[in-house]
Amino acid sequence: MPHRPKRVAVTSPQTRLAHLRGRARGRWRVPRLDADEAERAAALYLAQRRQGLLALILGVVTLVGLPLVLAVWPALDTIRPWTIPVSWLMLAVLPYPALTALSFWQLRQAERIERR
Amino acid sequence: MATLVAVATVMVVTLLIGLHGVAAMRTTSDFLVASRRVSPLLNSAAVSGEYLSAASFLGVAGLVVRDGVGALWYPVGFTAGYIAMLILVAAPMRRSGALTVPDFAEARLASPGLRRLSAVVVLVIGALYLVPQLRTAGLVLSVVSDLPYWVGVVIAGVVVSATLALGGMRAATYVQAFQFLVKLLLFIVPALWLLVIVGPHVRHEAVHPVEFTHFPKDTAVEFQVDATLTFPEPVTVRTPDGTETVLGPGEVRVDANQTLVFPKDTPVPTVNGGGIPGGEQWHRPLLNLSDYGHPLLATLAVLTATALGTMGLPHVLMRFHTSPDGRSARRTAAFTVALLGIFYLFPGIYGALGRVLVPELYLSGVTDTVVVALPSRVSDDWVGTLMTTLLSVGAFAAFLATSVGLLLVISGAISYDLLPGGLRRLRITVLLAAAVMVLLALPAAPLAAGMLVTWGFTVAASTFCPLLVLGIWWPRLTKAGAVSGVLVGLFSTLGAIAVALFGPPLAGWQAILITQPAPWTVPLAFATMVVVSLRGQAPPWSRTAMLRLHLDEPPRDTR
Repeated sequence: MPHRPKRVAVTSPQTRLAHLRGRARGRWRVPRLDADEAERAAALYLAQRRQGLLALILGVVTLVGLPLVLAVWPALDTIRPWTIPVSWLMLAVLPYPALTALSFWQLRQAERIERR
Repeated sequence: MATLVAVATVMVVTLLIGLHGVAAMRTTSDFLVASRRVSPLLNSAAVSGEYLSAASFLGVAGLVVRDGVGALWYPVGFTAGYIAMLILVAAPMRRSGALTVPDFAEARLASPGLRRLSAVVVLVIGALYLVPQLRTAGLVLSVVSDLPYWVGVVIAGVVVSATLALGGMRAATYVQAFQFLVKLLLFIVPALWLLVIVGPHVRHEAVHPVEFTHFPKDTAVEFQVDATLTFPEPVTVRTPDGTETVLGPGEVRVDANQTLVFPKDTPVPTVNGGGIPGGEQWHRPLLNLSDYGHPLLATLAVLTATALGTMGLPHVLMRFHTSPDGRSARRTAAFTVALLGIFYLFPGIYGALGRVLVPELYLSGVTDTVVVALPSRVSDDWVGTLMTTLLSVGAFAAFLATSVGLLLVISGAISYDLLPGGLRRLRITVLLAAAVMVLLALPAAPLAAGMLVTWGFTVAASTFCPLLVLGIWWPRLTKAGAVSGVLVGLFSTLGAIAVALFGPPLAGWQAILITQPAPWTVPLAFATMVVVSLRGQAPPWSRTAMLRLHLDEPPRDTR
């Protein structure tokens, strides 16, 4: 069987923190990567940075754009589908599905990059 | 009374879990080992369980009553924080193997000095985050039991520290995940019940806010903190024992722990120079910070702090380490966005109904109790009592989950990162830290929970956010750059907070940039780190240390 993972007790991270730190910490060592790993890591880093920037820009545009829209068009307060002002819905409801969609898209892209 | 018993039950059960923790962990270790593959969905429920604090459960609705609909930007920022976490931090942080930011600082930059500095920052964030939790718990206890505020705070502090000192946070992921479901149910069911039972008239008023100018009926206001009221004309108020006093016109100081009954049709005074609920600005969907104006700037300031601060919250970062690898840490962050999105659909309902049904809470200066005050206002039978009980229990569950995690992070930072220590010292540190937090929470009652919590986020956003983001994505970051950036971010934020608390009264956009300094402290910290790093030379292994964080694990076999 190819490298069966070591058995590790899963507890609250706080508990593990206490356990880990109770023992003496190992001396810090210079991090190393072998040539294959270094190459793959560099490629992943570049691809993830590109994807991350794109997602970050989308997120910022959404989160800065929404208050701007609400500030520029106060008329949105007076449009009332189902008697609730549309501007309230844009603040209290709309961001959550939008943020969820963005996060799932980013998750899919980031995992796709690692499958290559 | 029933409510007090229920809240006491929650506290006792938490204590018992704490006591039982050690034994349970040994005998069920096989069970725990088998659960090594904590699924991302379960883990994200646990993350949300720890994240949804008393400030989310009660504070947001209270801010809506006080400041207006725009206060709903806080939960948007809280949720957006997990997107920033997902994009920038989750997977590389998990792959670094570091459990906390001090660990990360040492692993990435090999700097014990930066580790200690980060530990100090953990203390600051922890204090700014824990004080409002204790304050809110104290307020809720004093509402459901008629105990004075300070007794409530002390009880809350004792329960948290006793839980932690006796058993530690041994309860595994399942407890936190279960807590999330409990909080979700205890929040949603009463909200839907309220929406149905208030009737069409109140529902109509909730979405058509009118200014709260005159008391619609004889209204008793219980002052839990000192308040300064400004009366436009003299008003005759009664105390419950029947004595009548004339207040105003002009400013009147009302001491804490007394109840005043305002007669029907008298004009409503303003509080501490603030606005009036339901007024001109109340219905606007942008944040109205203490009537400073510039709602767009205030909104963006709070969004910056909360969205960028989340990734630096010490008790949340640690949660991600229950994930077996970087890939599932990333999934955990993504699912957390969805789960928080469900929860945060509901504070607005409590806020909008609270403005109609209990606007007088606003006079007492403390609106955080709006959620627990609502059910008894619309129904005086057993259902109302039951709903009040459910909400109080939920609020306490929220308070305990967050506070226990925070207190352990604080104590860990003191006894391991700053001083050499063992388990015994950790336990003593827990008690001392809790005592200090209680002392800090005692005078904090008049401060808005939202403001204090946002300060915690602002410190995280101006220190740990640049440290993590540049540490993970920029190979040229140096020790000197990281240390000076964290120092600049920490002191500029603390300076702004000190001016806000003790400085002269401010107005306009300057006031916003002092009370919510994230828009300038975060860029300042980033700039300092970049400039100082560029003037120095990163060690030759720096690039490898960074690339290592981006290397994915070999794919797991999918048996």
